[in-house]
Amino acid sequence: MNKRLSITLLTAPAMIVLLGVFILPMLLMLMLSFQDENQAFTLQNYTLFVQDSFYVEILWRTIRVSLWTVLATLLLGFPVAMYMAQATGKMRGIVTMLILAPHLISVVIRNFGWVVVLGEKGWINEMLMKLGLIEQPLRLLYNELGVVIGLTDSFIAYMVLAIATSLYAIDPSLSKAASILGASRIRTFFTVTLPLCLPGIIAGTTLVFSLSMSAFVTPALMGGTSVKVMPVIAYEQIMATLNWPLGAALAFLLLGSTILLVTLYTKLIETKRYKEVFAS
Amino acid sequence: MEVTKVIDVELRGIMKKFQNNVVVQDFNLQVEQGEFISFLGPSGCGKTTTLNMIAGFLDPDGGDLLIKGQRMNGVPPYKRELGMVFQTYSLFPHMTVAENIAYGLKLRKIGKQEMQDRVKRVLELVKLPNVADRYPKQLSGGQRQRIAIARALVIEPSLLLLDEPLSNLDAKLREELRDELKRLHQEIGVTTIFVTHDQEEALALSDRIVVLNHGFVEQIGTPLEIYNQPASEFVHTFIGKTNRMEGEVIAIDGDTLTLRTTGGLLVQATGQQRAFALQQKVVIFVRPEKIKLSDAADTAQPNRVKGHLQLASFLGSYTECEVATGAHTLSVKVQMSDKSAEQEAGKTVYCQWNAEDVLVMPVERG
Amino acid sequence: MKKINTFGLITFFVLLLVNLPFLVIIPSSFTAAGYLAFPPEGFSFQWYTMILDRPEFVESLWTSLKLATVTAVLATVLGTLAAFALSKYKFRGSGVINALMLSPLTVPSLIIGISALLFFTRIGIAGTFTGLLLAHILISIPYVVRLVLTGLSTFDYTLEKAGYMLGAHPLRVFWDITLPLLRPAIVSGMIFSFLTSFDNVTVSLFLVAPDTTTLPLAIFTYMQETLDPLVASISAVVILLSLVFIVLLEKVYGLERLFGLNSQSH
Repeated sequence: MNKRLSITLLTAPAMIVLLGVFILPMLLMLMLSFQDENQAFTLQNYTLFVQDSFYVEILWRTIRVSLWTVLATLLLGFPVAMYMAQATGKMRGIVTMLILAPHLISVVIRNFGWVVVLGEKGWINEMLMKLGLIEQPLRLLYNELGVVIGLTDSFIAYMVLAIATSLYAIDPSLSKAASILGASRIRTFFTVTLPLCLPGIIAGTTLVFSLSMSAFVTPALMGGTSVKVMPVIAYEQIMATLNWPLGAALAFLLLGSTILLVTLYTKLIETKRYKEVFAS
Repeated sequence: MEVTKVIDVELRGIMKKFQNNVVVQDFNLQVEQGEFISFLGPSGCGKTTTLNMIAGFLDPDGGDLLIKGQRMNGVPPYKRELGMVFQTYSLFPHMTVAENIAYGLKLRKIGKQEMQDRVKRVLELVKLPNVADRYPKQLSGGQRQRIAIARALVIEPSLLLLDEPLSNLDAKLREELRDELKRLHQEIGVTTIFVTHDQEEALALSDRIVVLNHGFVEQIGTPLEIYNQPASEFVHTFIGKTNRMEGEVIAIDGDTLTLRTTGGLLVQATGQQRAFALQQKVVIFVRPEKIKLSDAADTAQPNRVKGHLQLASFLGSYTECEVATGAHTLSVKVQMSDKSAEQEAGKTVYCQWNAEDVLVMPVERG
Repeated sequence: MKKINTFGLITFFVLLLVNLPFLVIIPSSFTAAGYLAFPPEGFSFQWYTMILDRPEFVESLWTSLKLATVTAVLATVLGTLAAFALSKYKFRGSGVINALMLSPLTVPSLIIGISALLFFTRIGIAGTFTGLLLAHILISIPYVVRLVLTGLSTFDYTLEKAGYMLGAHPLRVFWDITLPLLRPAIVSGMIFSFLTSFDNVTVSLFLVAPDTTTLPLAIFTYMQETLDPLVASISAVVILLSLVFIVLLEKVYGLERLFGLNSQSH
């Protein structure tokens, strides 16, 4: 069969879906974000953001929550990745399974579980009160802490995965070489292992940051009405206020600031030396 | 009595290019029925491309390809009725050995009983009668390649194509399977085209060898012809290790040439295929195994030079030596049977060789 | 005595953490009390029978299953065909098409949801099953393409050549050799698509109509108003259903391989 015809026939169905349900709608959304009530061109949906400190405050909160989530997933995820890299086949398989399987169950359900654990009459508060450690229930939910806990649970698998992949790629004889040369285990870790898994750390942190910035379900369920983040505001504009141009603009502002921050971060961390070592 | 020869495969001026790169040029060849022919050359010489054209995976951009007298240009591989064995074995991993072998028979709608018989017979032929129910994964590399050969042979192909079938095996197995291939060919007599970059394999197995370089046929000949009467410097150097010296002709006395190397060494050569003129620039070759080492000079031998034994590597059946003789460093192979194989670096030796073992070639113009 | 492994301890803690929601939900769903509590009080199936009295859960479960099944089948067919073209042929623009196929992964679901809503409203399929289905296919295609491409990247094309040499027509080779060897990649692409669709909230949020809501979305909405053991029991049902597919995925393909973690140990 003709090569060009085969390629067209094979890719066309998926391409139609991609163009019709993704590319075209995105362009429409972009256009709409530059329209006012009378469908005339305007920048007001974007300038509003700078003028109104309300939106700036919300963006800052979104960034803050995302940064805390990155920190939490990194601190908890790195040891897990290290453990997986050192574990034998069977143990590694079990850990992988137990960290990945929850990831395949709906975030709504996972968040619900956390609500049961963290609520005012939740398991943790009940336990602490029974032990007499506290008198008033702690506020673990419907604040930024609650959102960070929920997001950490949601995204830690990505962090573990990214770092583990880069750790697996490190030749195990390198740390042997370092110790033969006289490096202690801690020194070997900081001078060999850590620098070499930097790509995994960068990949994990940028991914978790981006995902946290655009997360909607967890802030809505675990932040309640008090912790409004950008995706929640955008959703309200679209579905409640029915101000579609503003909702679209807010969504793009969120995406734009995420990309900007991630680019700045990678520019800062990827030094010339880093690029030479990890050039593909 | 002249027996009329049956030509199984014929290549007439075959040409192939990728984009603007000509990778096979003006390839002419007639393969006789029952012949075992090798395409030998370094990677990128066009041997695999040619094989792929014979198999039908590529179409020539010029010339005609005939199999059993029929023009095959444009005929897809699955209609050519050929057998092929690949470097990577290429057994279907999801089928048992028996299913792999039977696959070609199934496509030809052979009855169940006959199919079983033929599978059994061909497994006996490759000396693996007990692995029918195993999966390829459960076999060793050598066994897998035997099964791949069985799978190719069971359909009784008009032509067997072997694409570097021994390259993925380790040294010992490779030799074993090489002998096996030879035995199978003698037993069945199927016309075979064998692609290899290993000159030993080609020399050991072939009735004739086609030496290829950069898409050109350098020489077609029997192993002995290729070895003793190389058509070009490339053929001579590709077929084995050699000592190369540049020089010029300073005297011609009938069959005997006297040459002087650029290093000032005088060399005599006899029995050359080519004719040379006085003062002609030439290249002089002597194979390492043709040079003898001794402690004392043999004055009857005109080709001799005193040197310093720099390096001696004992390699089992022979010792490889490097002798510095001032202008030239000669590589010498000392066979174990000479009892002189035990060589020590550092001593003074004489290198000597016969005039008929010298190969002289005109300087090729690059 | 074995030295206590710090990494091991933290790993144990993290594993407990990520699985804690399920360890809490399932017992809570069997509570005999009328309110949500952990540890549960008493034991009963009452909250499970209660599900049946709530048509929005039963219907949305049915919608979700139907949606996920159709999404899985169509996304798998579309993604597999495209992956074949991308892997087998070298052509100009293949890089662009490849990037395009994976691009829905790089854009937040929020934006995919909003843009689909805006566009579907224009063409009149907002709030329909078709619209929902199209969006779910879109977000599943990248996974299928990636999995099948991975499968094809290790696929030995000389096996196809061997098939041709034995006399098999290209379609026959595809059916007898290529397809069976890629089955794990394709089947896992299908299961993964199913789970992607079955779990999705953010995209569905913008596209459902009140009468075609999906189960996760129904739970999401219900949870924002009421928190009672009914959420636990319906969640337990979803967990069980998802687990079936997760186990299937592990058997067919292996989760490690699915997430690109190739364990060298086996």
